[in-house]
Amino acid sequence: MNKSRLGTILFFLSPALALVLVFYIIPLILAIYIGFTPLRDWNLKAYLGKFTTQSYQYLFYLLTHDPDVSKVVKTTIVFTTVTLVVNVLGGLALALATFFMEERVSLTYRSLWLLPRLTPVAVYSLLWYYFFLGDASGTLNSLLLRLGVIDHPVSWGTDPSLQPEGSWLILIVVNGFVGVSFGMIIFYSALKSIPREHIIAARIDGATTLQLIRRVMLPQIRWHLVYVTIWQLLSLLTTFAHIFLLTEWGVVDRWWGTTWALYVFNEAFTTGEQGVAAAAATILVAIGAVLGIISLRLLGFKKMMPEPRGEL
Amino acid sequence: MASRTAWITAAIIIIIIIGAVAYYYSGKKGGATTTASPTTTAPPATTSPQTTQPTTTAPPTTSPKTTTTQAAPPKPVLTGNVEKDIVAIGKYLAYHGIHEAKFSVASAGDPNSVMRVYAIVEAAYRLNKILEKNGVDFRIKITTNFRRGGGDKLAQDFETAFQANKNPDIMANSYKWIARFAEEGYILDITPYVEKYQSFINEFYPSLLKAVEWKGKYYGIPQDTEARPLYWRTDVAACIKEKTGTDILANLYDKVKTGQVTWHEVYKYAELAVKTGCSKWGVLHRKGSAHPDLIQFIFAFGGQLEDPKTGKLVVDVPAVYKWLYVEWKMAREGLIPKDMMSWDWAKQIHPAVVCGKTLIWIGGTWHWTEWQTKPYCKGRPLTAEEVKKYFYYTLFPAGDHGDKPVTLSQPFVWMIASNAGKDNKEYNKYKDVYHMIAFLLVVKASDPDLIAIHSIISAHLPVTKKAAELINDKTWVQKLANLQIELSPEVKNAIADIVKKTVNEINVEFLANASKMLEYTKLTPMHPLYPRLANIFRDAVNYVLLGEMTPDKAVQYIISKVKADPELSKAVEIKGEIPKNWQFP
Repeated sequence: MNKSRLGTILFFLSPALALVLVFYIIPLILAIYIGFTPLRDWNLKAYLGKFTTQSYQYLFYLLTHDPDVSKVVKTTIVFTTVTLVVNVLGGLALALATFFMEERVSLTYRSLWLLPRLTPVAVYSLLWYYFFLGDASGTLNSLLLRLGVIDHPVSWGTDPSLQPEGSWLILIVVNGFVGVSFGMIIFYSALKSIPREHIIAARIDGATTLQLIRRVMLPQIRWHLVYVTIWQLLSLLTTFAHIFLLTEWGVVDRWWGTTWALYVFNEAFTTGEQGVAAAAATILVAIGAVLGIISLRLLGFKKMMPEPRGEL
Repeated sequence: MASRTAWITAAIIIIIIIGAVAYYYSGKKGGATTTASPTTTAPPATTSPQTTQPTTTAPPTTSPKTTTTQAAPPKPVLTGNVEKDIVAIGKYLAYHGIHEAKFSVASAGDPNSVMRVYAIVEAAYRLNKILEKNGVDFRIKITTNFRRGGGDKLAQDFETAFQANKNPDIMANSYKWIARFAEEGYILDITPYVEKYQSFINEFYPSLLKAVEWKGKYYGIPQDTEARPLYWRTDVAACIKEKTGTDILANLYDKVKTGQVTWHEVYKYAELAVKTGCSKWGVLHRKGSAHPDLIQFIFAFGGQLEDPKTGKLVVDVPAVYKWLYVEWKMAREGLIPKDMMSWDWAKQIHPAVVCGKTLIWIGGTWHWTEWQTKPYCKGRPLTAEEVKKYFYYTLFPAGDHGDKPVTLSQPFVWMIASNAGKDNKEYNKYKDVYHMIAFLLVVKASDPDLIAIHSIISAHLPVTKKAAELINDKTWVQKLANLQIELSPEVKNAIADIVKKTVNEINVEFLANASKMLEYTKLTPMHPLYPRLANIFRDAVNYVLLGEMTPDKAVQYIISKVKADPELSKAVEIKGEIPKNWQFP
């Protein structure tokens, strides 16, 4: 590549690069840096110049001594894994179902699934809050009471005999409903872009729907599967808006309902320990990066991105 | 060829971007200068300060160099006399060519608490009147920012805004922020001013002055407070009397006050209420947090939360154990709901209290008016008469016989930012003087009538004895109801609607009675790590209510949580042991 060509490329990339620098790289560097300062109560003038590893020591101490913090770690692992499976497989199932539907029905159905994503976070969380409320007026309780399944209202997210599964289930359901629509959209459009001839040919050759999906459709949307999986993995690791509201309103157990990302938020904005929060966030970024790279490897990203055969 | 076209296109794009950025910034600057004048100003100055001809006593409006006949006024020092002090300050600044000082005030609360900012507006109006009367060519302007809701978000925003010098100069917020803000240097140490204003400070209830002290220094002035009465449903009590003959309410206020009725008796009454079917629950309390309502149990069982000698936080094991035991026992017997900590305020807690599903409610003074404004039962709010009819109130009873009853306050206080007056001319040179003005604004905002108005219209308790006397003065209250009191037109306008809705005899009588509880009031520690300890208490209460832990396990849990936190373990002392022969009820 000659020099002027490199210059041109860089020049045209510069707006994008500037954005990446300002909105991704600098905040990341700042977060890593603040993690090594004792910053608290936003007192930038007093603490920003001091170097210390106390935040990391503090976090390590909590992890090894505070059973509630280990609950947070467990919750993060379970929540991320299960919701990821729900979101990817659920999204795929929805996409396949709508793909085989008549277009008009399919459109309505897909739009319905988009509602959770369209609804403002607070409103959507409030709906679920009232759904799982541990009182007879909670939607789920009132339904089950009427059907005679239960004889007294159940506190799904706080009753100790139902924890931690109760809290986890609520978090997974609430986030799952938002998450599946993402996979659904991507997978649906990917399925739509498969040449119709392939499907028609397979049908003529006598393929059942299951065979059609396994042998013809899934191989052609592998790239999308990889993309959605990694994207969802990273966003589930860092999501906390719904979870924050659900724990704050007390519909789930405070510790079994807290993920690491929410823990970071609480440290920064509730306890005012921005140094600790930044350290915790840095750990989360590191874990996210490692998991991202591992998934790319495992899912064979490179194989799907072969060098183009022809001349460019 | 393609490369050249690309370069030209790129160059054009860059020029357009630079042009747009430059245009945006020039526009922004222009905008800022035109909107610089404050929207909320206090003084109805007769003439513009710049054009006013000074009277014979006033210093010249021109530069000090031209004053040949008058000596420069000395740098002002506070004397304890507001009139004298503001005049001295006004003359001094006017002499140096400064004729106006701008201050911003911010606060938060329910919509009826607007006096948390308008008291400062009124204070500026009153100070400006003094200046005008004395012919001083100097005025104070105020900008206000009042937010609905709690003060925590405001306090957090104050912290971040402080980094960029954009914070309000004066803020009314919970006293709990004082330690944190004082430690970080965000608020002004007003001890030297307070020393000069001793008679002013002596008017406040001594218990409340503890709320503005941190490490022996004053960092604020009390603005309002509340108490947390125990509300008793009169209809449930009447039902119990009818069925069992026990008259719970007979002379109850005094029985609680003298320690005759303790939590042992409360337990029995709650049990009666539930067993007779007079109410579904015996006792209900807040959700989601142990602070501040439930912390009263620690004080009621004679415990402490802070060691005054060492300044360390304290986990008073016997008191904490007894508190958790009471909650645990009541939840096991069905007197208090097991999932109390996750009940919904609007759908469960208030409707249960207002519809009479409980004998006792551990509430706050503000509920008295809240029930008159929100439709918690049968789709409509209660009338003042109904609230009076259904609710009896007492102090929070003593834990054991021999202990004392308590209540708990969380005063709001005026805090002055350590950079107060920052938006004024030559701030660095006259910093001290601007700080003094901010202090005088707070002093004036604490005029008895302003405190009394705020108390009545927002159902908070007055912080000074003089204000409490004013609330008891029926003629004055009547004048307030008719808005025939001396207030600036702006403030009068701002509170007119609220006054119409809230000033009535029943509410005023309640306030006067509740004010008497302040004698028994306790404060939670101001220690910066107290919120963390309170969170651990919250989890412990939740666990005992749910039955996940027994009271002794919960105490062990609290201790282990304190020890698991390296900072907290250094700041907290664990005192005493679980009592062995204690019986409850």
